[in-house]
Amino acid sequence: MITAERKPLDEIMESIDGCGRILLVGCNECVTVCAAGGRKEVALLASALQMASMKKGRTLDIRELTLERQCDPEYVEELTPHIDQVDAVVSMACGCGVQEVARRFKKTHVYPALNTKFMGASEGPGIWAERCQGCGDCLLGLTGGICPIARCAKRLMNGPCGGSTNGKCEISNDVDCAWHLIWERMKELGIEDRYEDVIAAKDWRTGRGGGPRKILREDLV
Amino acid sequence: MSFQRRLASGDFVVLAEMNTPKGVNVAELVANARKIKGRVDAVIIPDMDNGVMRMSALAGGALIHQQGMEAIIHLYCRDRNRMALQGDVLAAHLLGIRNLVVVPGEEMANGDHRDATVVNDLDELELLGAIRSLQNGVDMSGFSLNGNPEFMTGCTLGAFADEQALDAELAALEKKVAAGAGFVITPPVFDVERSAADLEKIAALKVPVIATVFLLKSVGIARYMSLNEPGAHISEEMIKRIRKAPNREMECQRIAGETIAQLKNLVQGVKIETLGWEHKLPTILGFAGL
Repeated sequence: MITAERKPLDEIMESIDGCGRILLVGCNECVTVCAAGGRKEVALLASALQMASMKKGRTLDIRELTLERQCDPEYVEELTPHIDQVDAVVSMACGCGVQEVARRFKKTHVYPALNTKFMGASEGPGIWAERCQGCGDCLLGLTGGICPIARCAKRLMNGPCGGSTNGKCEISNDVDCAWHLIWERMKELGIEDRYEDVIAAKDWRTGRGGGPRKILREDLV
Repeated sequence: MSFQRRLASGDFVVLAEMNTPKGVNVAELVANARKIKGRVDAVIIPDMDNGVMRMSALAGGALIHQQGMEAIIHLYCRDRNRMALQGDVLAAHLLGIRNLVVVPGEEMANGDHRDATVVNDLDELELLGAIRSLQNGVDMSGFSLNGNPEFMTGCTLGAFADEQALDAELAALEKKVAAGAGFVITPPVFDVERSAADLEKIAALKVPVIATVFLLKSVGIARYMSLNEPGAHISEEMIKRIRKAPNREMECQRIAGETIAQLKNLVQGVKIETLGWEHKLPTILGFAGL
């Protein structure tokens, strides 16, 4: 999933300074799962914004709405009846959702309430960790299902480096060494010999090296 | 007199562009540079020009300096982060290089290492700001330097096909000048008469303007640029002139030389770009009366 965290309240307040009526829009997908921008967080932020405004002697007219998917034009269309009645949209979706709303409603200010973080997975209650950087040419089949691009601090294709100690990365004892994990996983799978294979310098054209990316599925167009 | 002083005094400056080799054999570069020593004010060394991996401009600039000539090197953000760029700026000063040009990086997809990743940690404005800050003795993290580098730093003006595009480029140029650019290099000028108004508009920004003079090597290149670079304004008459010439290569050099001579009263300098034909520079300079 795409993970996110809410921006500091002061920053959100600053972005809507001068707005009397805002539409606070959540998303029912990834940001709901990572407890950053779902229906519940929309309600919490609405209360926090209202209290912060009242402290300044003002009241905000806040409409709350949570879409099924804010990155999908079909659902973003549900905002249409509200748009002309607000000064700005505050989006609690990831950056994709914010941009989709901005693309659809060209004359409306759209401000992000979240900082989009990474594509990750849950490691336990309240913990999400980075797993994928969307390089566009998955090599998990070569590395025992553990991604060195997303999980090695140095993004090494042929690790580990000298900073791997007792399975931990030199940047922090809280960070697992990706190449230690790869080794352990390969041992479990009985494919340790593959560890010696040298992975060639990566072709980054499928990633951001080739500029903004797009998928075109002609069978679906 | 140094390039910087000549710019400040309003003298016409002549820069010759010379690429570093793809390899370590610098004999040709040195030989070509020596042939124009004393006839140009500085040699300008691109870095990985057109996205082609070559010896870095830093080494090329140092080599030119060793020949007793003034060097100007390109700096851009595609391949280096702020650490590497600042380190190279300090190194450039140490190696005797006193002039930089901040340029846009060619798209990786257009180069010869298309699978490489791009860095783009900074943009051109931020890099200009970083160079200015280093000259003031402070790095991008706010730490003081032990010895400040000194540079004359320039920038480039992007290609423009019409008035609207020129205005957009001028708006960008204004920002670059405010960020520390002390001169600007224009896209190639082929039709001086037609470009005069544009050059005056650029000069109105009160920054020394150095026009690029691009050596057309053949009818084919002239035709290609005429079709694919609408801002180049290469006329049919010019293409016909090259085609009908008994010695087309010589005619191309004559045209470049004439262009330089025509630009003398319009801009503060020229940058001669020959893309691999640096050995033709003496002839071009001769045609320009330099």
